[in-house]
Amino acid sequence: MTAVATATAERELGASRLRVGEIWRIVRLLAVNPTIFFGVPWMILGGAWAVTMVLALIMTGAGAPMEEAREGFRYSWAVLSPQWYLVVVGVQAVAYTFSFALGFGSTRRDFWLGMSVMFVLVSAEMAVAIATLVQLEQLTNGWWIGAGMFDALWYGQLGWGFDFLSTFVLQLLVLFVGASATTIYMRWRVRGMMVLLFGTVALVLILIASLTFTESWPAVWTWLVGLTPIGLVLLGLAAAAVAAVAGFLVIRRATPR
Amino acid sequence: MTSTVVRASGLTKRYGSFAAVDHVDFALEEHRIYGLLGRNGAGKTTLMQLLTGQLFPNEGELEVFGRTPAEHADVLRRLCFIAESQRYPEDFTPKHVFTSAPWFFENWDAEFAERLIADFRLPVKRRIKKLSRGQLSAVGVIVGLASRAPLTFFDEPYLGLDAVARHIFYDRLLEDYAEHPRTIVLSTHLIDEVANLLEHVILIDQGRILLDRDAEEVRGQATTIAGARSVVEEFVQGRPIIGREGLGGLASVTIDGRLEREERIRAAELGLELAPVSLQQLIVHLTGADLAGATEKEVAA
Repeated sequence: MTAVATATAERELGASRLRVGEIWRIVRLLAVNPTIFFGVPWMILGGAWAVTMVLALIMTGAGAPMEEAREGFRYSWAVLSPQWYLVVVGVQAVAYTFSFALGFGSTRRDFWLGMSVMFVLVSAEMAVAIATLVQLEQLTNGWWIGAGMFDALWYGQLGWGFDFLSTFVLQLLVLFVGASATTIYMRWRVRGMMVLLFGTVALVLILIASLTFTESWPAVWTWLVGLTPIGLVLLGLAAAAVAAVAGFLVIRRATPR
Repeated sequence: MTSTVVRASGLTKRYGSFAAVDHVDFALEEHRIYGLLGRNGAGKTTLMQLLTGQLFPNEGELEVFGRTPAEHADVLRRLCFIAESQRYPEDFTPKHVFTSAPWFFENWDAEFAERLIADFRLPVKRRIKKLSRGQLSAVGVIVGLASRAPLTFFDEPYLGLDAVARHIFYDRLLEDYAEHPRTIVLSTHLIDEVANLLEHVILIDQGRILLDRDAEEVRGQATTIAGARSVVEEFVQGRPIIGREGLGGLASVTIDGRLEREERIRAAELGLELAPVSLQQLIVHLTGADLAGATEKEVAA
Protein backbone atom coordinates (compact mmCIF):
# COMPACT_ATOMS: atom_id res chain seq x y z
CA MET A 1 0.00 0.00 0.00
CA THR A 2 2.59 2.50 1.11
CA ALA A 3 4.81 1.68 -1.83
CA VAL A 4 1.99 2.48 -4.24
CA ALA A 5 1.17 5.72 -2.43
CA THR A 6 4.79 6.88 -2.54
CA ALA A 7 5.03 6.03 -6.20
CA THR A 8 1.97 8.13 -7.00
CA ALA A 9 3.22 11.05 -4.95
CA GLU A 10 6.55 10.93 -6.71
CA ARG A 11 4.91 10.76 -10.09
CA GLU A 12 2.96 13.91 -9.28
CA LEU A 13 6.20 15.56 -8.22
CA GLY A 14 7.77 14.40 -11.48
CA ALA A 15 4.98 16.01 -13.46
CA SER A 16 6.09 19.42 -12.20
CA ARG A 17 9.37 19.01 -14.18
CA LEU A 18 11.43 20.09 -11.18
CA ARG A 19 12.45 16.80 -9.62
CA VAL A 20 14.29 17.91 -6.52
CA GLY A 21 14.92 14.37 -5.25
CA GLU A 22 16.26 13.19 -8.60
CA ILE A 23 18.64 16.14 -8.82
CA TRP A 24 19.80 15.97 -5.20
CA ARG A 25 20.66 12.26 -5.47
CA ILE A 26 23.22 13.18 -8.15
CA VAL A 27 24.83 15.58 -5.67
CA ARG A 28 24.95 12.73 -3.16
CA LEU A 29 26.35 10.35 -5.77
CA LEU A 30 29.16 12.80 -6.58
CA ALA A 31 29.86 13.20 -2.85
CA VAL A 32 29.59 9.53 -1.85
CA ASN A 33 33.37 9.40 -2.13
CA PRO A 34 34.15 12.79 -0.51
CA THR A 35 37.89 12.63 -1.23
CA ILE A 36 37.33 13.65 -4.87
CA PHE A 37 35.64 17.02 -4.30
CA PHE A 38 36.61 17.81 -0.72
CA GLY A 39 39.63 15.75 0.25
CA VAL A 40 42.17 16.12 -2.53
CA PRO A 41 41.83 19.92 -3.11
CA TRP A 42 42.63 20.47 0.57
CA MET A 43 45.50 18.01 0.49
CA ILE A 44 47.00 19.95 -2.41
CA LEU A 45 46.40 23.26 -0.68
CA GLY A 46 47.79 21.89 2.60
CA GLY A 47 50.88 20.56 0.84
CA ALA A 48 51.49 23.93 -0.86
CA TRP A 49 51.04 25.67 2.49
CA ALA A 50 53.57 23.37 4.18
CA VAL A 51 56.12 24.07 1.43
CA THR A 52 55.52 27.82 1.77
CA MET A 53 56.03 27.63 5.55
CA VAL A 54 59.29 25.71 5.19
CA LEU A 55 60.49 28.22 2.56
CA ALA A 56 59.66 31.09 4.91
CA LEU A 57 61.57 29.45 7.75
CA ILE A 58 64.61 28.90 5.52
CA MET A 59 64.50 32.53 4.38
CA THR A 60 64.25 33.95 7.91
CA GLY A 61 66.92 31.50 9.03
CA ALA A 62 69.21 32.77 6.28
CA GLY A 63 68.54 36.29 7.52
CA ALA A 64 66.56 37.61 4.57
CA PRO A 65 64.82 40.91 5.34
CA MET A 66 61.19 40.14 6.30
CA GLU A 67 59.65 42.94 4.24
CA GLU A 68 61.28 41.86 1.00
CA ALA A 69 60.36 38.24 1.64
CA ARG A 70 56.71 39.16 2.07
CA GLU A 71 56.89 41.09 -1.19
CA GLY A 72 58.33 38.02 -2.93
CA PHE A 73 55.55 35.78 -1.63
CA ARG A 74 53.00 38.03 -3.38
CA TYR A 75 54.05 36.40 -6.65
CA SER A 76 53.51 32.87 -5.36
CA TRP A 77 50.86 30.89 -7.28
CA ALA A 78 50.48 28.35 -4.47
CA VAL A 79 46.98 29.60 -3.63
CA LEU A 80 45.81 28.53 -7.10
CA SER A 81 47.33 25.04 -6.88
CA PRO A 82 44.02 23.12 -6.57
CA GLN A 83 42.65 24.67 -9.79
CA TRP A 84 44.40 22.27 -12.12
CA TYR A 85 43.16 19.29 -10.17
CA LEU A 86 39.61 20.64 -10.31
CA VAL A 87 39.67 20.74 -14.12
CA VAL A 88 40.32 16.99 -13.93
CA VAL A 89 37.47 16.58 -11.44
CA GLY A 90 35.14 18.28 -13.93
CA VAL A 91 36.34 15.98 -16.72
CA GLN A 92 35.92 12.84 -14.61
CA ALA A 93 32.42 13.79 -13.45
CA VAL A 94 31.23 13.58 -17.06
CA ALA A 95 33.56 10.82 -18.30
CA TYR A 96 32.84 8.34 -15.48
CA THR A 97 30.07 9.40 -13.11
CA PHE A 98 27.75 10.35 -16.00
CA SER A 99 27.94 6.84 -17.51
CA PHE A 100 27.35 5.33 -14.10
CA ALA A 101 24.37 7.59 -13.31
CA LEU A 102 22.73 6.60 -16.61
CA GLY A 103 23.11 2.93 -15.61
CA PHE A 104 21.37 3.78 -12.34
CA GLY A 105 18.44 5.29 -14.26
CA SER A 106 19.16 9.03 -14.08
CA THR A 107 18.23 11.30 -16.97
CA ARG A 108 20.93 13.38 -18.65
CA ARG A 109 19.06 16.50 -17.63
CA ASP A 110 18.94 15.58 -13.94
CA PHE A 111 22.59 14.56 -14.01
CA TRP A 112 23.74 17.90 -15.41
CA LEU A 113 21.56 19.89 -12.98
CA GLY A 114 22.74 17.83 -10.01
CA MET A 115 26.35 18.17 -11.09
CA SER A 116 25.90 21.94 -11.44
CA VAL A 117 24.52 22.14 -7.89
CA MET A 118 27.58 20.19 -6.72
CA PHE A 119 29.91 22.58 -8.58
CA VAL A 120 28.24 25.61 -6.97
CA LEU A 121 28.50 24.04 -3.50
CA VAL A 122 32.16 23.11 -3.91
CA SER A 123 33.05 26.52 -5.35
CA ALA A 124 31.29 28.29 -2.48
CA GLU A 125 33.05 26.11 0.08
CA MET A 126 36.48 26.75 -1.45
CA ALA A 127 35.75 30.47 -1.78
CA VAL A 128 34.63 30.94 1.84
CA ALA A 129 37.66 29.02 3.10
CA ILE A 130 40.27 30.76 0.94
CA ALA A 131 38.86 34.26 1.51
CA THR A 132 38.88 33.58 5.26
CA LEU A 133 42.42 32.17 5.18
CA VAL A 134 43.59 35.38 3.45
CA GLN A 135 42.19 37.36 6.40
CA LEU A 136 43.80 34.99 8.91
CA GLU A 137 47.15 35.24 7.17
CA GLN A 138 47.01 39.03 7.32
CA LEU A 139 45.88 38.94 10.95
CA THR A 140 48.72 36.65 12.04
CA ASN A 141 51.22 38.57 9.92
CA GLY A 142 52.06 35.55 7.79
CA TRP A 143 51.42 32.77 10.29
CA TRP A 144 53.78 34.47 12.79
CA ILE A 145 56.83 33.83 10.61
CA GLY A 146 56.16 36.17 7.71
CA ALA A 147 55.11 33.46 5.25
CA GLY A 148 52.71 34.41 2.48
CA MET A 149 50.57 32.01 0.53
CA PHE A 150 46.94 33.17 0.54
CA ASP A 151 47.69 36.90 0.68
CA ALA A 152 49.17 36.74 -2.84
CA LEU A 153 48.40 37.79 -6.43
CA TRP A 154 45.11 39.73 -6.36
CA TYR A 155 44.08 38.39 -2.95
CA GLY A 156 44.03 40.46 0.19
CA GLN A 157 43.66 43.84 -1.59
CA LEU A 158 39.93 44.40 -1.91
CA GLY A 159 38.55 42.68 1.17
CA TRP A 160 36.88 39.40 2.03
CA GLY A 161 33.95 39.93 -0.32
CA PHE A 162 36.04 40.32 -3.44
CA ASP A 163 38.33 37.41 -2.51
CA PHE A 164 35.25 35.26 -2.02
CA LEU A 165 33.65 36.30 -5.30
CA SER A 166 36.80 35.93 -7.40
CA THR A 167 37.60 32.45 -6.01
CA PHE A 168 34.00 31.34 -6.42
CA VAL A 169 33.89 32.41 -10.07
CA LEU A 170 37.31 30.99 -10.93
CA GLN A 171 36.40 27.65 -9.35
CA LEU A 172 33.08 27.50 -11.16
CA LEU A 173 34.73 28.37 -14.47
CA VAL A 174 37.41 25.72 -14.11
CA LEU A 175 34.91 22.96 -13.19
CA PHE A 176 32.43 23.83 -15.94
CA VAL A 177 35.09 24.16 -18.64
CA GLY A 178 36.40 20.67 -17.76
CA ALA A 179 32.91 19.16 -17.65
CA SER A 180 31.49 20.77 -20.78
CA ALA A 181 34.56 20.03 -22.92
CA THR A 182 34.11 16.37 -21.92
CA THR A 183 30.44 16.40 -23.00
CA ILE A 184 31.74 17.05 -26.54
CA TYR A 185 33.77 13.85 -26.29
CA MET A 186 30.81 11.92 -24.85
CA ARG A 187 28.61 12.99 -27.74
CA TRP A 188 30.95 13.06 -30.77
CA ARG A 189 33.97 11.14 -29.46
CA VAL A 190 37.43 11.83 -30.94
CA ARG A 191 36.04 13.58 -34.02
CA GLY A 192 34.23 16.06 -31.79
CA MET A 193 37.36 16.76 -29.78
CA MET A 194 39.33 17.38 -32.97
CA VAL A 195 36.72 19.83 -34.25
CA LEU A 196 36.72 21.57 -30.86
CA LEU A 197 40.51 21.81 -30.79
CA PHE A 198 41.01 22.99 -34.37
CA GLY A 199 37.91 25.17 -34.18
CA THR A 200 39.26 26.97 -31.13
CA VAL A 201 42.68 27.44 -32.70
CA ALA A 202 41.11 28.75 -35.93
CA LEU A 203 38.87 31.12 -33.98
CA VAL A 204 41.80 32.54 -32.02
CA LEU A 205 43.82 33.02 -35.23
CA ILE A 206 40.91 34.75 -36.96
CA LEU A 207 40.47 37.01 -33.94
CA ILE A 208 44.18 37.93 -33.90
CA ALA A 209 44.18 38.53 -37.66
CA SER A 210 41.10 40.74 -37.64
CA LEU A 211 42.35 42.75 -34.66
CA THR A 212 45.74 43.21 -36.33
CA PHE A 213 44.39 44.21 -39.76
CA THR A 214 41.83 46.63 -38.34
CA GLU A 215 44.57 47.96 -36.03
CA SER A 216 42.26 47.69 -33.04
CA TRP A 217 44.81 46.28 -30.56
CA PRO A 218 45.17 49.62 -28.70
CA ALA A 219 41.38 49.75 -28.28
CA VAL A 220 41.38 46.21 -26.89
CA TRP A 221 44.15 47.03 -24.40
CA THR A 222 42.36 50.16 -23.26
CA TRP A 223 39.21 48.14 -22.74
CA LEU A 224 41.05 45.46 -20.79
CA VAL A 225 42.93 47.93 -18.61
CA GLY A 226 39.74 49.88 -18.11
CA LEU A 227 37.96 46.83 -16.71
CA THR A 228 37.34 47.09 -12.99
CA PRO A 229 38.21 44.04 -10.87
CA ILE A 230 34.47 43.41 -10.48
CA GLY A 231 34.07 43.68 -14.25
CA LEU A 232 36.69 40.96 -14.71
CA VAL A 233 34.95 38.70 -12.21
CA LEU A 234 31.63 39.22 -13.98
CA LEU A 235 33.31 38.36 -17.28
CA GLY A 236 34.51 35.09 -15.72
CA LEU A 237 31.05 34.39 -14.37
CA ALA A 238 29.57 34.92 -17.84
CA ALA A 239 32.12 32.50 -19.33
CA ALA A 240 31.24 29.88 -16.67
CA ALA A 241 27.54 30.33 -17.43
CA VAL A 242 28.16 29.90 -21.18
CA ALA A 243 30.12 26.69 -20.52
CA ALA A 244 27.35 25.41 -18.21
CA VAL A 245 24.56 26.07 -20.72
CA ALA A 246 26.57 24.70 -23.67
CA GLY A 247 27.40 21.54 -21.69
CA PHE A 248 23.73 21.06 -20.86
CA LEU A 249 22.71 21.30 -24.51
CA VAL A 250 25.42 18.87 -25.64
CA ILE A 251 24.90 16.26 -22.90
CA ARG A 252 21.18 15.94 -23.65
CA ARG A 253 22.07 13.69 -26.61
CA ALA A 254 25.37 12.29 -25.29
CA THR A 255 25.88 8.52 -25.00
CA PRO A 256 27.92 6.72 -22.36
CA ARG A 257 31.07 4.79 -23.18
CA MET B 1 -3.47 -10.92 -17.80
CA THR B 2 0.04 -10.07 -18.81
CA SER B 3 0.88 -6.67 -20.14
CA THR B 4 3.53 -5.66 -22.58
CA VAL B 5 6.53 -3.89 -21.08
CA VAL B 6 8.59 -3.25 -24.20
CA ARG B 7 7.44 -2.85 -27.77
CA ALA B 8 9.93 -2.28 -30.59
CA SER B 9 9.30 -2.07 -34.30
CA GLY B 10 11.81 -1.38 -37.03
CA LEU B 11 14.31 -0.41 -34.31
CA THR B 12 17.67 0.49 -35.88
CA LYS B 13 20.98 1.77 -34.56
CA ARG B 14 23.73 2.54 -37.05
CA TYR B 15 27.38 3.44 -36.55
CA GLY B 16 28.34 4.97 -39.88
CA SER B 17 27.41 2.37 -42.48
CA PHE B 18 27.44 -0.47 -39.93
CA ALA B 19 24.05 -1.41 -38.49
CA ALA B 20 24.56 -2.73 -34.95
CA VAL B 21 20.79 -3.23 -34.61
CA ASP B 22 19.01 -3.60 -37.92
CA HIS B 23 15.21 -3.14 -38.21
CA VAL B 24 14.33 -5.24 -35.21
CA ASP B 25 10.75 -6.03 -34.11
CA PHE B 26 9.91 -7.65 -30.80
CA ALA B 27 7.95 -7.30 -27.58
CA LEU B 28 8.68 -8.16 -23.95
CA GLU B 29 5.84 -9.27 -21.68
CA GLU B 30 5.60 -8.55 -17.98
CA HIS B 31 7.00 -11.06 -15.45
CA ARG B 32 9.04 -13.29 -17.72
CA ILE B 33 12.72 -14.22 -17.93
CA TYR B 34 14.13 -13.52 -21.36
CA GLY B 35 17.42 -14.73 -22.76
CA LEU B 36 19.00 -12.32 -25.18
CA LEU B 37 21.41 -14.65 -26.91
CA GLY B 38 23.96 -14.17 -29.62
CA ARG B 39 27.62 -14.21 -30.43
CA ASN B 40 30.06 -11.50 -29.42
CA GLY B 41 29.27 -8.34 -31.35
CA ALA B 42 25.83 -9.59 -32.39
CA GLY B 43 24.18 -6.42 -31.07
CA LYS B 44 23.04 -7.57 -27.62
CA THR B 45 24.53 -4.69 -25.65
CA THR B 46 23.48 -2.10 -28.23
CA LEU B 47 19.91 -3.39 -28.02
CA MET B 48 19.92 -3.14 -24.22
CA GLN B 49 21.41 0.36 -24.38
CA LEU B 50 18.57 1.38 -26.70
CA LEU B 51 15.99 -0.13 -24.34
CA THR B 52 17.44 1.77 -21.38
CA GLY B 53 17.64 5.10 -23.19
CA GLN B 54 21.43 5.18 -23.16
CA LEU B 55 21.55 5.22 -26.96
CA PHE B 56 19.24 6.99 -29.37
CA PRO B 57 17.86 4.89 -32.25
CA ASN B 58 18.36 6.06 -35.84
CA GLU B 59 15.04 4.62 -36.95
CA GLY B 60 12.01 2.78 -35.68
CA GLU B 61 9.60 2.91 -32.79
CA LEU B 62 10.44 2.00 -29.21
CA GLU B 63 8.15 2.02 -26.20
CA VAL B 64 9.22 0.99 -22.71
CA PHE B 65 6.40 1.14 -20.16
CA GLY B 66 4.44 3.01 -22.79
CA ARG B 67 6.99 5.73 -23.61
CA THR B 68 10.31 6.39 -25.28
CA PRO B 69 12.84 5.56 -22.55
CA ALA B 70 15.48 8.25 -23.23
CA GLU B 71 15.24 11.21 -20.84
CA HIS B 72 11.95 10.05 -19.30
CA ALA B 73 12.52 9.77 -15.57
CA ASP B 74 9.25 7.91 -14.94
CA VAL B 75 10.39 5.13 -17.31
CA LEU B 76 14.05 5.05 -16.28
CA ARG B 77 13.29 4.67 -12.57
CA ARG B 78 11.74 1.29 -13.34
CA LEU B 79 14.87 0.00 -15.12
CA CYS B 80 18.15 -1.41 -13.91
CA PHE B 81 21.03 -1.97 -16.30
CA ILE B 82 24.60 -2.48 -15.18
CA ALA B 83 26.55 -3.06 -18.38
CA GLU B 84 29.23 -5.70 -18.58
CA SER B 85 31.73 -2.91 -19.42
CA GLN B 86 30.13 -0.46 -16.96
CA ARG B 87 32.21 2.60 -16.09
CA TYR B 88 32.38 3.54 -12.44
CA PRO B 89 33.31 6.94 -10.96
CA GLU B 90 36.98 7.48 -10.17
CA ASP B 91 38.21 5.55 -7.10
CA PHE B 92 34.82 3.90 -6.56
CA THR B 93 34.52 0.80 -4.41
CA PRO B 94 31.61 -1.70 -4.31
CA LYS B 95 30.67 -0.09 -0.98
CA HIS B 96 30.07 3.24 -2.76
CA VAL B 97 27.89 1.45 -5.33
CA PHE B 98 25.72 -0.20 -2.68
CA THR B 99 25.51 3.00 -0.58
CA SER B 100 24.16 5.03 -3.49
CA ALA B 101 21.91 2.32 -4.99
CA PRO B 102 18.92 2.95 -2.66
CA TRP B 103 18.79 6.60 -3.84
CA PHE B 104 18.11 5.36 -7.36
CA PHE B 105 16.09 2.14 -6.88
CA GLU B 106 12.98 2.56 -4.75
CA ASN B 107 12.60 -1.20 -4.21
CA TRP B 108 16.24 -1.65 -3.09
CA ASP B 109 16.56 -4.38 -0.44
CA ALA B 110 19.70 -3.62 1.59
CA GLU B 111 19.46 -6.83 3.61
CA PHE B 112 19.27 -8.92 0.46
CA ALA B 113 22.29 -7.03 -0.91
CA GLU B 114 24.24 -7.77 2.29
CA ARG B 115 23.42 -11.45 1.99
CA LEU B 116 24.53 -11.53 -1.63
CA ILE B 117 27.79 -9.73 -0.80
CA ALA B 118 28.52 -12.46 1.74
CA ASP B 119 27.48 -15.20 -0.70
CA PHE B 120 29.77 -13.90 -3.43
CA ARG B 121 32.54 -13.04 -0.91
CA LEU B 122 32.85 -9.64 -2.56
CA PRO B 123 35.54 -7.39 -1.03
CA VAL B 124 33.45 -4.22 -0.72
CA LYS B 125 36.31 -1.90 0.22
CA ARG B 126 38.57 -2.79 -2.68
CA ARG B 127 38.67 -0.36 -5.58
CA ILE B 128 36.54 -1.41 -8.57
CA LYS B 129 39.64 -1.14 -10.78
CA LYS B 130 41.40 -3.79 -8.68
CA LEU B 131 38.54 -6.32 -8.75
CA SER B 132 38.83 -9.51 -10.76
CA ARG B 133 36.49 -10.07 -13.71
CA GLY B 134 34.32 -12.37 -11.63
CA GLN B 135 34.10 -9.90 -8.73
CA LEU B 136 33.17 -7.16 -11.18
CA SER B 137 30.38 -9.36 -12.55
CA ALA B 138 29.24 -9.96 -8.96
CA VAL B 139 28.82 -6.19 -8.41
CA GLY B 140 26.47 -6.02 -11.42
CA VAL B 141 24.61 -9.15 -10.37
CA ILE B 142 24.07 -7.87 -6.80
CA VAL B 143 22.77 -4.49 -8.03
CA GLY B 144 20.50 -6.26 -10.54
CA LEU B 145 19.03 -8.61 -7.94
CA ALA B 146 18.73 -6.26 -4.94
CA SER B 147 17.28 -3.35 -6.96
CA ARG B 148 14.16 -5.41 -7.79
CA ALA B 149 13.50 -3.08 -10.73
CA PRO B 150 10.38 -3.98 -12.74
CA LEU B 151 12.61 -4.37 -15.81
CA THR B 152 16.07 -5.66 -14.95
CA PHE B 153 18.91 -6.34 -17.38
CA PHE B 154 21.80 -8.66 -16.68
CA ASP B 155 24.58 -8.14 -19.21
CA GLU B 156 26.81 -11.24 -19.41
CA PRO B 157 26.33 -11.96 -15.68
CA TYR B 158 28.38 -15.16 -15.79
CA LEU B 159 31.56 -13.56 -17.10
CA GLY B 160 34.42 -14.72 -14.86
CA LEU B 161 32.16 -16.18 -12.17
CA ASP B 162 33.32 -19.48 -10.71
CA ALA B 163 31.04 -22.53 -10.54
CA VAL B 164 29.88 -21.80 -6.98
CA ALA B 165 29.09 -18.17 -7.78
CA ARG B 166 27.17 -19.17 -10.92
CA HIS B 167 25.11 -21.55 -8.82
CA ILE B 168 24.41 -18.81 -6.25
CA PHE B 169 23.24 -16.43 -8.98
CA TYR B 170 20.96 -19.11 -10.45
CA ASP B 171 19.41 -19.98 -7.06
CA ARG B 172 18.98 -16.43 -5.79
CA LEU B 173 17.50 -15.22 -9.05
CA LEU B 174 14.83 -17.93 -9.18
CA GLU B 175 14.10 -17.60 -5.44
CA ASP B 176 13.68 -13.84 -5.58
CA TYR B 177 11.85 -13.92 -8.90
CA ALA B 178 9.23 -16.24 -7.38
CA GLU B 179 8.64 -13.79 -4.51
CA HIS B 180 8.98 -10.57 -6.50
CA PRO B 181 8.01 -11.24 -10.10
CA ARG B 182 9.48 -8.83 -12.65
CA THR B 183 10.72 -8.80 -16.21
CA ILE B 184 14.28 -9.97 -16.57
CA VAL B 185 16.50 -9.81 -19.64
CA LEU B 186 19.65 -11.88 -19.45
CA SER B 187 22.19 -11.36 -22.20
CA THR B 188 24.87 -13.96 -22.66
CA HIS B 189 26.91 -15.94 -25.12
CA LEU B 190 27.38 -18.74 -22.56
CA ILE B 191 24.11 -20.38 -23.49
CA ASP B 192 24.21 -23.77 -21.77
CA GLU B 193 24.88 -22.04 -18.44
CA VAL B 194 21.58 -20.15 -18.50
CA ALA B 195 19.45 -22.45 -20.64
CA ASN B 196 17.39 -23.73 -17.69
CA LEU B 197 16.68 -20.22 -16.38
CA LEU B 198 15.08 -18.90 -19.52
CA GLU B 199 11.40 -18.77 -20.30
CA HIS B 200 11.78 -17.09 -23.63
CA VAL B 201 14.63 -16.88 -26.10
CA ILE B 202 15.53 -14.01 -28.39
CA LEU B 203 18.44 -14.86 -30.64
CA ILE B 204 20.23 -11.99 -32.33
CA ASP B 205 22.92 -12.14 -34.98
CA GLN B 206 24.46 -9.33 -37.00
CA GLY B 207 21.88 -6.93 -35.65
CA ARG B 208 18.87 -9.01 -36.68
CA ILE B 209 16.60 -11.29 -34.68
CA LEU B 210 16.91 -14.89 -35.87
CA LEU B 211 14.63 -16.45 -33.30
CA ASP B 212 12.03 -15.08 -30.88
CA ARG B 213 10.24 -17.98 -29.24
CA ASP B 214 9.20 -19.65 -26.01
CA ALA B 215 12.16 -21.54 -24.54
CA GLU B 216 10.22 -24.79 -24.18
CA GLU B 217 9.27 -24.69 -27.83
CA VAL B 218 12.84 -23.97 -28.83
CA ARG B 219 14.20 -26.89 -26.83
CA GLY B 220 12.09 -29.41 -28.74
CA GLN B 221 12.24 -27.55 -31.97
CA ALA B 222 15.15 -29.15 -33.74
CA THR B 223 16.17 -32.76 -34.20
CA THR B 224 19.42 -34.35 -35.25
CA ILE B 225 19.21 -37.39 -37.53
CA ALA B 226 22.27 -39.59 -37.80
CA GLY B 227 23.04 -42.69 -39.81
CA ALA B 228 24.30 -43.83 -43.21
CA ARG B 229 24.78 -40.82 -45.47
CA SER B 230 22.50 -41.89 -48.32
CA VAL B 231 19.68 -42.91 -45.97
CA VAL B 232 19.93 -39.68 -43.96
CA GLU B 233 19.96 -37.55 -47.10
CA GLU B 234 16.87 -39.24 -48.44
CA PHE B 235 15.05 -38.90 -45.11
CA VAL B 236 15.70 -35.18 -44.70
CA GLN B 237 14.86 -34.25 -48.27
CA GLY B 238 12.47 -31.31 -48.38
CA ARG B 239 12.95 -30.43 -44.73
CA PRO B 240 14.54 -27.19 -43.44
CA ILE B 241 18.13 -28.18 -42.75
CA ILE B 242 20.05 -26.04 -40.28
CA GLY B 243 23.19 -28.09 -39.85
CA ARG B 244 25.12 -30.84 -41.55
CA GLU B 245 28.10 -32.86 -40.40
CA GLY B 246 29.65 -35.89 -41.98
CA LEU B 247 32.42 -38.41 -41.52
CA GLY B 248 33.09 -40.97 -44.26
CA GLY B 249 29.88 -42.74 -45.12
CA LEU B 250 28.11 -41.41 -42.01
CA ALA B 251 26.16 -38.20 -41.79
CA SER B 252 24.40 -36.23 -39.07
CA VAL B 253 21.90 -33.64 -40.17
CA THR B 254 19.98 -31.22 -37.95
CA ILE B 255 16.57 -30.13 -39.11
CA ASP B 256 14.31 -27.33 -37.89
CA GLY B 257 11.01 -28.71 -36.65
CA ARG B 258 9.52 -31.62 -34.77
CA LEU B 259 9.04 -35.09 -36.21
CA GLU B 260 5.58 -36.64 -36.15
CA ARG B 261 5.05 -40.09 -34.65
CA GLU B 262 4.91 -41.89 -38.01
CA GLU B 263 8.11 -40.19 -39.10
CA ARG B 264 9.86 -41.32 -35.95
CA ILE B 265 8.77 -44.88 -36.60
CA ARG B 266 9.94 -44.68 -40.21
CA ALA B 267 13.32 -43.33 -39.08
CA ALA B 268 13.69 -46.21 -36.64
CA GLU B 269 12.83 -48.68 -39.42
CA LEU B 270 15.49 -47.11 -41.64
CA GLY B 271 18.04 -47.57 -38.85
CA LEU B 272 18.48 -43.83 -38.20
CA GLU B 273 19.25 -42.35 -34.82
CA LEU B 274 17.27 -39.35 -33.55
CA ALA B 275 18.63 -37.01 -30.90
CA PRO B 276 17.25 -33.83 -29.32
CA VAL B 277 19.24 -30.66 -29.82
CA SER B 278 20.31 -28.55 -26.84
CA LEU B 279 19.69 -24.82 -26.91
CA GLN B 280 23.38 -24.20 -27.33
CA GLN B 281 23.70 -26.63 -30.24
CA LEU B 282 20.67 -25.11 -31.93
CA ILE B 283 22.10 -21.64 -31.61
CA VAL B 284 25.49 -22.71 -32.90
CA HIS B 285 23.65 -24.15 -35.89
CA LEU B 286 21.64 -20.98 -36.38
CA THR B 287 24.51 -18.54 -36.06
CA GLY B 288 27.48 -20.60 -37.25
CA ALA B 289 29.53 -18.43 -39.57
CA ASP B 290 29.54 -20.71 -42.63
CA LEU B 291 25.82 -21.36 -42.33
CA ALA B 292 24.60 -17.90 -41.41
CA GLY B 293 23.61 -16.96 -44.96
CA ALA B 294 21.62 -20.10 -45.67
CA THR B 295 20.08 -20.12 -42.22
CA GLU B 296 18.52 -16.72 -42.41
CA LYS B 297 16.37 -17.61 -45.40
CA GLU B 298 15.27 -20.88 -43.87
CA VAL B 299 14.29 -19.37 -40.57
CA ALA B 300 12.41 -16.62 -42.32
CA ALA B 301 10.57 -19.19 -44.43
